[in-house]
Amino acid sequence: MSARVLHPVEMTVNGVTIRAQVETRQALAEFLRANAGLTGTHIGCDTSQCGACTVHVDGVGLKSCTLFAVQANGAAVTTIEGVAPQGAMHPMQQAFQEHHALQCGFCTPGMIMSALDLVRRNPEPTDDEIRQALEGNICRCTGYYNIVKAIAAGARAMRAPAGK
Amino acid sequence: MNYIGKPLARREDVRFLTGRGNFVDDVKLANTAWIAFLRSPHAHARIRGIDSTAAAGMPGVLRVLTAADWKAAGLGELTCVHPMPFSDGRPMNEVLRPCFAADRVNHVGDVVAAVVAEDRYGALDALDAIEVDYEVLPAVSITARALDAGVPVVHERFQSNLVNEVVRGNKAAADAAFAAAAHVTELTVSSNRLAGNALEPRAYLADYNRATGQSTLWATTQMPHLLRRWICRYTLFMPENKLRVIAPDVGGGFGVKGHYAVEVATVVWAAKLLGRPVKWTCTRSELMMSDAQARDHYTRAKMAFSKTGEILAMQVETLASFGAYCSNFGPSIPGNSYPQTITGLYLTPHLHLRVRGVYTHTVPIDAYRGSGRPEATLVNERLMENGAREMGIDVVEIRRRNLIPHERFPYKTPVGRIYDSANPPLMLEKLVALSNYARLRTEQARRRKAGELVGIGLAAFLDKSGTGPSATLATKGGLHGGYESAIVRAHSDGKVTVFSGSHSHGQGHDTAFCQVAADRLGLPLEDISLVQGDTDSVPFGNGTWGSRSLSVGGIAIYKAADRVIDKAKIIAAHMLECAAPDLEYAQGQFTVAGTNRGVTFCQVAEAAHHGANCPTGPDFEPGLEATVFYDPPDTNDPSAMHLTLVSIDPTTWRVQVEAYYTLDDCGLVVNPLIVEGQVHGGLAQGIGQAMMEKVSYDADSGQLLTGTFMDYAMPRAADMPPLESDFICTLAPSNPLGVKGGSETGTIGPPAAIGNAIVDALWHLGVRHVDPPYTPHAVWKAVAGK
Repeated sequence: MSARVLHPVEMTVNGVTIRAQVETRQALAEFLRANAGLTGTHIGCDTSQCGACTVHVDGVGLKSCTLFAVQANGAAVTTIEGVAPQGAMHPMQQAFQEHHALQCGFCTPGMIMSALDLVRRNPEPTDDEIRQALEGNICRCTGYYNIVKAIAAGARAMRAPAGK
Repeated sequence: MNYIGKPLARREDVRFLTGRGNFVDDVKLANTAWIAFLRSPHAHARIRGIDSTAAAGMPGVLRVLTAADWKAAGLGELTCVHPMPFSDGRPMNEVLRPCFAADRVNHVGDVVAAVVAEDRYGALDALDAIEVDYEVLPAVSITARALDAGVPVVHERFQSNLVNEVVRGNKAAADAAFAAAAHVTELTVSSNRLAGNALEPRAYLADYNRATGQSTLWATTQMPHLLRRWICRYTLFMPENKLRVIAPDVGGGFGVKGHYAVEVATVVWAAKLLGRPVKWTCTRSELMMSDAQARDHYTRAKMAFSKTGEILAMQVETLASFGAYCSNFGPSIPGNSYPQTITGLYLTPHLHLRVRGVYTHTVPIDAYRGSGRPEATLVNERLMENGAREMGIDVVEIRRRNLIPHERFPYKTPVGRIYDSANPPLMLEKLVALSNYARLRTEQARRRKAGELVGIGLAAFLDKSGTGPSATLATKGGLHGGYESAIVRAHSDGKVTVFSGSHSHGQGHDTAFCQVAADRLGLPLEDISLVQGDTDSVPFGNGTWGSRSLSVGGIAIYKAADRVIDKAKIIAAHMLECAAPDLEYAQGQFTVAGTNRGVTFCQVAEAAHHGANCPTGPDFEPGLEATVFYDPPDTNDPSAMHLTLVSIDPTTWRVQVEAYYTLDDCGLVVNPLIVEGQVHGGLAQGIGQAMMEKVSYDADSGQLLTGTFMDYAMPRAADMPPLESDFICTLAPSNPLGVKGGSETGTIGPPAAIGNAIVDALWHLGVRHVDPPYTPHAVWKAVAGK
């Protein structure tokens, strides 16, 4: 049994610089939860299937369980806690509430992060495109119908002129 | 106020949407140690020895635990709180799931040892250093083979794998009906084994305070009080007032988080041993070999029809897997839920049913959303449609001839269950209209002519919910209650906290329960908050299972709220110097009838808490709250019907569910948004069972083949068909709101409805049955006659 080796990492999470000593095997998801104290990013599987851990790394949607924290060294990471100012909700979050697109809420942060990544790439997704874009996110509660509705509505709200 | 019936957006959503939920793994305590479990890699083996010396000496390792430590401490095992004896009265051949396997492992995933270490990585590293000397033994993992001569026996003391034998109905009457039948349809049907797979894996965090002797457990549980009772009474032998169980936000349960899980007592015990917090969070691959699994029936059944298609009788012979041990609610599913719902919504006059529970070297079986009804409906509805096709009767028409008429409710079935309320004929006609059945058939004929394989299938079925009352539950084997608790507590400012013994892990109690409370209290919803999931603040509750939250837990709140208003009225009458019956109450205001004199609920609450301006006399107590333990007088019976259109690719044999229609009757709907969400979510799980999900074990070695989400297919967004849903409402007669369970029907219908549609599409090719999941391989095998 070799001694456990720690590596220094530094990244910007939701605009705040986080520095820590981590093991090579520590996933970014664990880093966010344990070192950054941001428990909105969830771990639902250990094979990168469920997408509950989806975050944005340098602006791109990624499953944070597939990335080691050391690989994200120097990156800017946005988690669910960072998509809207504290006390406010992003239009996508509002759409999820309005359309009852969550039940237990465990997959929800990953769903929102994937939805925002989709809208970044495709501001006017069709229902079919939304369903395809969610291929990496599993929800066990909702049957996805309301999630698809909410993402379409959230995308519409994001296209609406400011102030509306 | 009128909140009941409104599709209000959920109040609990904001914390989940913003990443501020509080799940067990999110709870952090200083100085927490981690525990990890070593599990059997074999389905069946003798443990010759365990050498944990190297592991115990690794840096950061605090403790290694095995069956020997458990035994030395004199601790107990898990428990079965719903045993089902043989129908002749003999007790079932019960073997409880052990916290640590002692000399033999009986399924892949059986716990062999545990390591507590300073952190998770240290604990996991140490697991690798434990040497277990196994003598691998032959295993049986296939339910259909469990009672065959010469198969390996899971528990040798019983000399066979038989757990119990439940017989229902009247064999002589059924035999006579079959002898006189114009037509008999016969099938062999398997219900695939499932994993519940709530998205949040189970997790436990236990703390122990040496100064007070108090343990606290944060747990992913649907029933914190029952979990506390089981740990204290059956396993760790400690007083219940020394263990506080907190179920914070729980990420889905579906029944599986209701079971007494194998790891939880060990986590509590380890915290006590070390005098510091100990945490365990399951991984998905661990969960796939540890969380109780579901379904897994093998059934031969037949249905007797008259010349005109009326069902005369049904005979059912089922082997139901229990897995390697009796899990805590496990026996009740094939023993109660299954026989009670197998004749569904039909007038079937005679039934003879025998279910034999069997052990196999697999993960134990227990309740998972649907619990027995999907297995029953698959058998009943596959027989129904095969019978119709064999007799040349349209599948809707044959149902019209067999459905229980509305006026026959309450209806007593041949197994003795009394269905409380339903209107099956109305539901069928609404489903026919919703789906435009005649047009679907015309379109099907057109596409068939063009060479396409297109089928239409239905499923009509009964759900059952609100299991109770407690005394009746006990006659069916239940060692737990069927009641629910509530406190409605008005504070001195007139704001209200509701405490419920029920627990929400996605069901939306904070909204729906408070809608009920707000209406009964005549107060704005925002004045009411809900507390649940804490044994130190909530009275003993039976938790959430069997679609009982609203019809039992909600009614407890309803009654407690009414009692609060009754008491408030007495105080208000004192304040207004009138008689209580002269008072009218609405929207937070007590008014002397016919006058403009009144006091508000807030003023009454203020007086009740001051205690000074209150009625005098020995019968009056200050304060303004009520505690209710509500034991429902009866169960309630939701019902539903599904219709689906499928097409099948003749090259790949892939089934495409093109359209899905549902009709539900769950009585009065308190929050339509939430109830529709329950229909959707149930449907995803039902379509999962129908189309893709199956826990598979290697037939020879018993090795688990579906160990992760890579191998166990879960429905994703693109797998869900276009859906149209509608509701009818027949009120449940046993509760004042008329509500019924509304969350499980989606899981019940799809294996039957889609299976029927596939057989309809392939009938002309000679296909008479396909077992779920309806994968291309399964359909191809059926067509090829393999």
